[in-house]
Amino acid sequence: MNQTATHTSTRFQAEPINLKNIQVQKLFMILFGLMAAVLVIPVILIIFTLLQKGGSAISWEFLTTFPSNGMTAGGILPALLGTVWLVAISLLASVPLGVAAAIYLSEYAPQDHWLTRVINLATINLAGVPSIVHALFGLGAFVAFFHLGTSILAASLTLAVMTLPVVIVASWESLQSVPFAFREACWNMGATRWQTIWHVVLPNALTGILTGIILQVSRAAGETAPIMFTGAAFFLPFLPSSVMDQTMALALHLFTISTQVPGVPEQIPFGVALVLFGIVLIINTCSIWLRMYLRSKKKW
Amino acid sequence: MNKQEIQQEIAIRTINLNLWYGHFQALFDVNLEIKQGIITAMIGPSGCGKSTVLRSVDRINERLGYVRITGAIKVLDKNIYDPDVNLSQLRKQVGMVFQRPNPLPISIYDNVIFGHRLHRPPDVKLSSRQEDEIVEAALQRVLLWDKVKDKLKRKATIDLSLEERQKLCIARLLPVKPAVLLMDEPCSALDPKGTAAVEELIWELRGEYSILLVTHNMAQARRTSDECIFMLMGKVVEHTDTDKMFVTPQYRETADYIEGRYG
Repeated sequence: MNQTATHTSTRFQAEPINLKNIQVQKLFMILFGLMAAVLVIPVILIIFTLLQKGGSAISWEFLTTFPSNGMTAGGILPALLGTVWLVAISLLASVPLGVAAAIYLSEYAPQDHWLTRVINLATINLAGVPSIVHALFGLGAFVAFFHLGTSILAASLTLAVMTLPVVIVASWESLQSVPFAFREACWNMGATRWQTIWHVVLPNALTGILTGIILQVSRAAGETAPIMFTGAAFFLPFLPSSVMDQTMALALHLFTISTQVPGVPEQIPFGVALVLFGIVLIINTCSIWLRMYLRSKKKW
Repeated sequence: MNKQEIQQEIAIRTINLNLWYGHFQALFDVNLEIKQGIITAMIGPSGCGKSTVLRSVDRINERLGYVRITGAIKVLDKNIYDPDVNLSQLRKQVGMVFQRPNPLPISIYDNVIFGHRLHRPPDVKLSSRQEDEIVEAALQRVLLWDKVKDKLKRKATIDLSLEERQKLCIARLLPVKPAVLLMDEPCSALDPKGTAAVEELIWELRGEYSILLVTHNMAQARRTSDECIFMLMGKVVEHTDTDKMFVTPQYRETADYIEGRYG
């Protein structure tokens, strides 16, 4: 009787090998956890530095006036508006094209066809092209060949070419995440591919497509190289009157006053950086919030 | 026309149907006559070609791209591989029910009226009263109306049981008045209670529609069908009255299969 009791009470006890395994598992959990935490540090440091050094520059006046005194004083209005214009027009070009291409690749293109493979390969490679190469392409194609000159239009189209592959990939992934059973159900009821796409696939893929697009806003807003040769100017004393004019842009303005103009008080470039970073942060946060909101409404 | 004569009419006829997926031949000279207004079950081990036959009858196979077919499939006496056949019109006549219930992620109401809206000519306007009636009739027909009449505007993918979803998937085929219903293991995702309910519904639809039912479940084939087809390795082994097949099968392979010696 006594013996049985002892026997039972020692059942399922850890042996040395189990204890060791538990220790190893804890070690890796802590190690990986620390590495994940390291990711956050640069973001916090950037925000902190920007706020500390550039926070004092931010005011309503800073956002709504022209630079003055050879860009060593005054505001950033033309650069801010320029960035808004560039991003808006580039999206106007890249979104319809990118989403349409993604729909073709996801819904129509025969898999394993050589043309599909070529398009996929082109998309992936386009995404990997360095932005300075995009700049040269834009200079050659839009500025020179299409005679757009250095203009908002040429710069926006260059940005559009740059963001296009990511819009395609994000939209494609989002389309692919719509369960195949929905398409099958639709086709079997006699719907054409287009009816299926319009009534079933697109409404359910919209969340992901939107998120993908919004993330491109921040990318387009932050790029300097592609717009440098194609339409952005170091300094303009007036606002552009049409898309054929040049414009200032935040990213290039930051580059200019940090490296090309002597005697700029420190808080101005940091203020510009803070505005740029703030725009990106706000847009990304909105995008994440939008995605969570739409996901919570979507159930299947 | 008496019942005997109705049964003579052929809903689906396959003539020397051969089918290849790439280089793999899935069907060999399949000759079948599926009679109108009755339930025909197709049984056979996995990979025997029964689903392939089913998916050829509404030509959904084709989207794979690498499918090649010789022979003919006649639905209501028209070869569906004729060049003048419109896929949309074909699929309006031939409805498909899947193994996993797949209602669309829209409301119950919209699911039922979806096909009707697809096939309605743009100049035909229906009042919402008329649409309501169509939806109610279809849901009544599948014995689902009382369960869902108070939540028609809710999403079909949220609070319906699997059994109810499968009934909804049958209901959405009915407003366009199909002649043939293809069912690809319609109960295999359901629990026994759901299976019984859907089988009851299939039996209820008998007469009005010609039903071709693929099943792995021999007891189900026996319970719910008038005629039964046994397929093996892409060939039709036996096609006869269900009662006869399960009592006095003509071929060794059939007997071995229904007695559970393989498959």
